[in-house]
Amino acid sequence: MRILGILACLTGLVVGGFFAVVNSSANAADTIKIGLIEPLSGPIAAVGIDAQQAFETAAEQINARGGVLGGRMLEIVPLDNAMSAEKTTQQLKNAVDIGLKYIIQGIGSNHALNIIEFINKNNKRNPDKAMMFLNHSAVTTAFTNELCSFWHFRFDANVDQKVAGLVTQMSRDSSIKKVYMINQNYGYGKSFQAAAHAIIGERTPNIEIVGDELIVPFGKVQDFTPFIAKIKASGADTVLTGNWGPDLVRLVKFAAGANLPVQFYTIYGGLTSSVAGYGADAAKISLKQVNEFHENHADLSADSVAFADAYLAKYKDTWYSDRQRWLIEMLAMAIDKAGSDDPIAVGKALEGMTFQGPLGEVEMRASDHQIQMQLMVSTLSGKYARPIMYKGNDFHMAFASDGVISREDTTLPTTCDMQRP
Amino acid sequence: MPSCTTCMAPLGAPGIILEVFVFSLFNGALYGMLLFLLASGLTLIFSMMGVLNFAHASFFMLGAYFAYQIADHVGFWPGLIVAPILVGVFGAAVERYALRPVHRFGHVAELLFTFGLAFVIEEVVQMIWGKVPVPYDVPASLNVAAFVWQGLDYSAYRLFMLLISIGIFVALFFGLTRTRIGLIIRAALTHPHMVASLGHDVPKVFMWTFGVGCALAGVAGVLGGNVLGTEPGMAIQLGPIVFVVIVVGGLGSLGGALIASLLIGILNNMAISYDFSLYPIFAVLGVEREADGVLADLVNLTTGGIAPLVPYLLLVLMLIFRPRGLFGTRDV
Repeated sequence: MRILGILACLTGLVVGGFFAVVNSSANAADTIKIGLIEPLSGPIAAVGIDAQQAFETAAEQINARGGVLGGRMLEIVPLDNAMSAEKTTQQLKNAVDIGLKYIIQGIGSNHALNIIEFINKNNKRNPDKAMMFLNHSAVTTAFTNELCSFWHFRFDANVDQKVAGLVTQMSRDSSIKKVYMINQNYGYGKSFQAAAHAIIGERTPNIEIVGDELIVPFGKVQDFTPFIAKIKASGADTVLTGNWGPDLVRLVKFAAGANLPVQFYTIYGGLTSSVAGYGADAAKISLKQVNEFHENHADLSADSVAFADAYLAKYKDTWYSDRQRWLIEMLAMAIDKAGSDDPIAVGKALEGMTFQGPLGEVEMRASDHQIQMQLMVSTLSGKYARPIMYKGNDFHMAFASDGVISREDTTLPTTCDMQRP
Repeated sequence: MPSCTTCMAPLGAPGIILEVFVFSLFNGALYGMLLFLLASGLTLIFSMMGVLNFAHASFFMLGAYFAYQIADHVGFWPGLIVAPILVGVFGAAVERYALRPVHRFGHVAELLFTFGLAFVIEEVVQMIWGKVPVPYDVPASLNVAAFVWQGLDYSAYRLFMLLISIGIFVALFFGLTRTRIGLIIRAALTHPHMVASLGHDVPKVFMWTFGVGCALAGVAGVLGGNVLGTEPGMAIQLGPIVFVVIVVGGLGSLGGALIASLLIGILNNMAISYDFSLYPIFAVLGVEREADGVLADLVNLTTGGIAPLVPYLLLVLMLIFRPRGLFGTRDV
């Protein structure tokens, strides 16, 4: 009796599995599934869910235009990693099991590195089941230098490029004489620090670095008063920081509270969660961000504006990361150009591909798979045409452009020695 | 209090060294008193009930969110009164309907319950107010410079926080040591049966003690939320340091919590302000200074870089050398 039961179970499993396989291969013929590994639960799920909305909207637009390869649809498959390393690995294995060929990720360079290593190994062992990694925001420069891989494509400027953008804008402001640097003491913060030292020395030798702090990251510092006192004592007129999250919000709030007369040059000052956190203090300080898009800029491409409008109408959120749109658009173009969804062919099609970004042509550089793009620096301001909206809340603030950084100014050499399959 | 912008002595003069010292002392005390406000409720609950409330920082967070919601509709001042009362009533309800049934299973069960409660509160806060920070601001009437020292504005609000903290310490201290209610509360801890025999409702005493402890965390939330930022992660970020305060001060000692809060605030401030290199310690051990390599990060540490870890270092040292804390009467 017991043996019969086990047999019945086994049969059930095999039959079930068979149908599952049939089912998934039938779907695969119709749609091209793209895995999105991001924190969709846990403390920073808001950022992951925003990314999911963005990619789904971009994919829907392509599908509405008829999809790729003459009628195949794109589908975003959300895979929650809850911001933990083990879950990222689990979801990668899961992606292999369901036969995903494309993985998108960007929140957390440690997870991105995990994905790069996993996919490199997977593609070596199973060349017929190759996977591609499309990185939308993980900015560690090494991914397109010494760690570069044919299977990794980065659609965002790396830390060095962003710092180059900030420093270039600083060089246009002759009132900046003394800069104080504060960064988070981990991989990203240290690479910001190193890049800033190198690029300031190279492009604006007149600016003196009067302070250079590394702080314990991720909200461990509660009281920023002593840092504010040191910035004041140093005579700095500008703070250059890679900080994000509470480490930036508190720095800004304490500076505003003490009426510290400096301006902040940041990478992530414009993240919605940060803007929500500054509150009324934002009006008391000058906060700048470097990125690729904000909707009050005068000369944006019509496509990017149309997307921003559609996104605002659908989610009541202001569009922020235009790179997420062009990632999907360029992937779709590459699939069409390659004539198949084979990652090797698509990867080769992506190399050197250009796309009309919001500020002009962006290009996926073939030598290191690092996108080459314009950047812009903008200041958070109470004067705006369109306010920042999030989940229907009006922040009564928006960014105003200071200047555009050309592709020449953000193009940096690479040390990548690309090994192609 | 020196309120001057023009009296900066030239760098290196003896005057400035003293001034930086006094300045750090003052800044550290400002932050330390906020820590005390948060720790006072926890130490009250622990000393009177013996319950180590892991969810204490969550009540702090609730205070901040309640105050934000009330300030959004009717302004900051009603929030200052109403939010702590709401948190206190919620705390009392938690004690009455959840903690009391768990009590008979002993302290481990209580501890696990409050540990779980912290997660539940965080999730609920995220459900109601979302995962991004809320713009809870300092009231405009107090957001003016009270004085300027070393070129930095000190807002009237920060002085107000300081005054409230001192006021709460004084009120608690006298309330517990000089009043009849304080007498009953203290007696209920050590001799619950005797107090009950004398006709007092011991469970009710515990319920309101827990409620008042939570309300104090609520006050800290109302006052600190707009300075530190009101977001779902605020409880997790502040939770551990409160435990450091009560362990260093001595479990259950109000005066100890005050001294420990000030000590942590001031040490933290001085570690950043003076920013000493830790290399001399490694030099004694014979480690070479190097630009990179496996030890470079360690050898090049400065006190400023590890300032947030200083309280935990203090905790470890305290547990090794004086487990009862500064003013505690029993070991941890």
